Amino acid sequence: MLQAPDSYPIDRPPLKSTLSMPYTLTPGRAAGVFLAETKNRRLVGSRCGSSGLVCVPAQDFCPSSGGADMELVAAPHTGAITGFTQTRAGIIATIRIDGADFDFVHRIVGAEFAALKVGMRVEAVWAQTPTQSIMDIEGFRPAPDAPVGTIEPLGEAAEPLPMKPYHMDLHYEHAFGPFYGRMFDEIGTNRRLMGVRSTHIDGALLPPREVDDISYTKTGTWVTVPDTGTVRAMSVIHLEFKGQKEPPPYIYAEIQLDGAVTRLIHSIKGIDMSRASELVKPGTRVRAVWSDARTGSLSDISHFQPIPDDVEPTST
Amino acid sequence: MSRHVGIVGVGQTHHSRRRTDVSQAGLVREAVDRALADAKLTIDEIDSIVVATGPVLFGAVNMPEKWVIDACGGRMKPVVRITSGGGTGLAGALAAYYQIAGGQHERVLVVAYDKLSEGALQYSISTLYDPFWGREFAVGIMGFSAAYWRARMDILGHTEEAAAMVSVKNHTNALKNPYAHVKKAITVDDVMKSRPLAWPIKLLDVPPISDGAAAIVLSSEKMAAKSTDRPAWILGIGYFCEADNAAARSMLVSEPLALAARRIYRAAGITNPRRQFDVVEVQEPYTCFELSYYESLGLCAPGEAAALIASGATQIDGDIPVNPSGGCMGANPIGAAGLVRLIEAAAQVMGKAGEHQIPNAKLALAQSGGGWANLRGVAVVSA
Repeated sequence: MLQAPDSYPIDRPPLKSTLSMPYTLTPGRAAGVFLAETKNRRLVGSRCGSSGLVCVPAQDFCPSSGGADMELVAAPHTGAITGFTQTRAGIIATIRIDGADFDFVHRIVGAEFAALKVGMRVEAVWAQTPTQSIMDIEGFRPAPDAPVGTIEPLGEAAEPLPMKPYHMDLHYEHAFGPFYGRMFDEIGTNRRLMGVRSTHIDGALLPPREVDDISYTKTGTWVTVPDTGTVRAMSVIHLEFKGQKEPPPYIYAEIQLDGAVTRLIHSIKGIDMSRASELVKPGTRVRAVWSDARTGSLSDISHFQPIPDDVEPTST
Repeated sequence: MSRHVGIVGVGQTHHSRRRTDVSQAGLVREAVDRALADAKLTIDEIDSIVVATGPVLFGAVNMPEKWVIDACGGRMKPVVRITSGGGTGLAGALAAYYQIAGGQHERVLVVAYDKLSEGALQYSISTLYDPFWGREFAVGIMGFSAAYWRARMDILGHTEEAAAMVSVKNHTNALKNPYAHVKKAITVDDVMKSRPLAWPIKLLDVPPISDGAAAIVLSSEKMAAKSTDRPAWILGIGYFCEADNAAARSMLVSEPLALAARRIYRAAGITNPRRQFDVVEVQEPYTCFELSYYESLGLCAPGEAAALIASGATQIDGDIPVNPSGGCMGANPIGAAGLVRLIEAAAQVMGKAGEHQIPNAKLALAQSGGGWANLRGVAVVSA
């Protein structure tokens, strides 16, 4: 039996990663008209033809019957609190607009938490500058004397807002774990590429892992692999896209490092890119070109570069 | 012994590059309404619902099945969401199939959709890579797909010209498909001269990015007659996987697809796929995959895909038509694309494929897959 891998604890901080995703969302008819009408300080709801129930803000499908025959209506700006809570972002409440049959969530403004009660009358406070969002209503404030409003026909209404820009920044902290930790520590500290072997496989698995995927047995010793290898597959990237790390053209390559039984994804440079598809092909021998940075990641290898007239070692 | 399951109603939206008149929920509703109408059923007669969508990063709404419950009629019914990248639609159908085959439900509705106009597609897809290992170099699935094709080119002869013929065939077939939104007659020369995106993949090797939804109603044998006297019986359906970074992972043949085909063919009594199938629908994220699938699905031997497309056998009037609907080249709402393939295969054996109907089609094969080409499935449907 091989010993368990020498995965001594490595105090690596987690890998921080941010996905910064842009969107253009389509609200659809009901929510689209709602968003188009907030600049006119109108609250648009919808009444279901089969259930007769009213949603505010307007919805395309009835939450009770699932019906789609929704008539858009003008809702009053007053209602009552049906539930509330204090959050770091202020007081959030479920609000039932007068004449509506379903609640929606919004912010309470101009009120102390302690003074709030379920059933309390409120009215909408409109934002100064409309942004075509639900925040065109700044919030709802207590209005004990506000008369109970009624649902009215909408009359003429704006066209639905077709698209709304939206953005999400998602922040992650990925734990390395002992296997990735050791590998990336070796890359950053010793400029050394390391994988693991299992009793069933005659070569290194990269990235290293605790269990071999094919035999389901524990992997064994760590092995160092050289920073040379053979291109197994390649593509010349011309496409530009959001989130891309380097400007095209560049070569996307799957490289089998000498002594490894898995492939590594990286880029190939240092060639005349106008002849990329003839200069780099499956079988081309390449060597890593290390960058000056020592971040302990795959980008510590700047890129791979062809080794002229080299041949693949016959045994691993 | 599992029970027989049939497809008794199908529906899809008229797919488009961007729908600004409906939300994601509205898209779902259109497909559901069409499938229910086709099955002559109301939502009250559906026991259970499967919602299938691609990665949530495509549409910015996490747990989207919650958002579309009112749109798909899921209120007070069993609802689950299934997701498996490009194979989502077929995986959703598989989940529904199990519910009926296992005796849990009589009728299950599957709705699959993606509204790809709303997000950053290649960026979203790149997040399917390990954040430590490969993501910084990922080009959606296009980078590796092109690289694998390059590897197959030398060994299996999957040339750029052969792939261009796939593009021409599927574009031509899409002209007859009322639900396709890319309707463009092109030539092999057009494909060869189109702009390289991830060489050898060029612009006309790539399907469009689409907004679209698809829905099917699956039924037990007992309840099928109310909807149709000609269901598309599912003779076998399966979905297989291989490891991401296993030793010596093959780029030449899709092992999970070959395995799925072998297992499901055995269940369905298929011994000679090229001769037995009347029609095949494959989900081709790029033209090069259709060539590879010919081989993995056993329509020809490894290394013969280029000759197969060149022979005309997979044309709409050939002996083994592949993608008479136009495949993904006509429309590609990723989360729905696998279900659209199943719908097209079912419509063929139900005799209602319209202008692209293969005369007398009785036995059809649908293929779909997702991930880093490592999740692959097939379904065999019969009249």
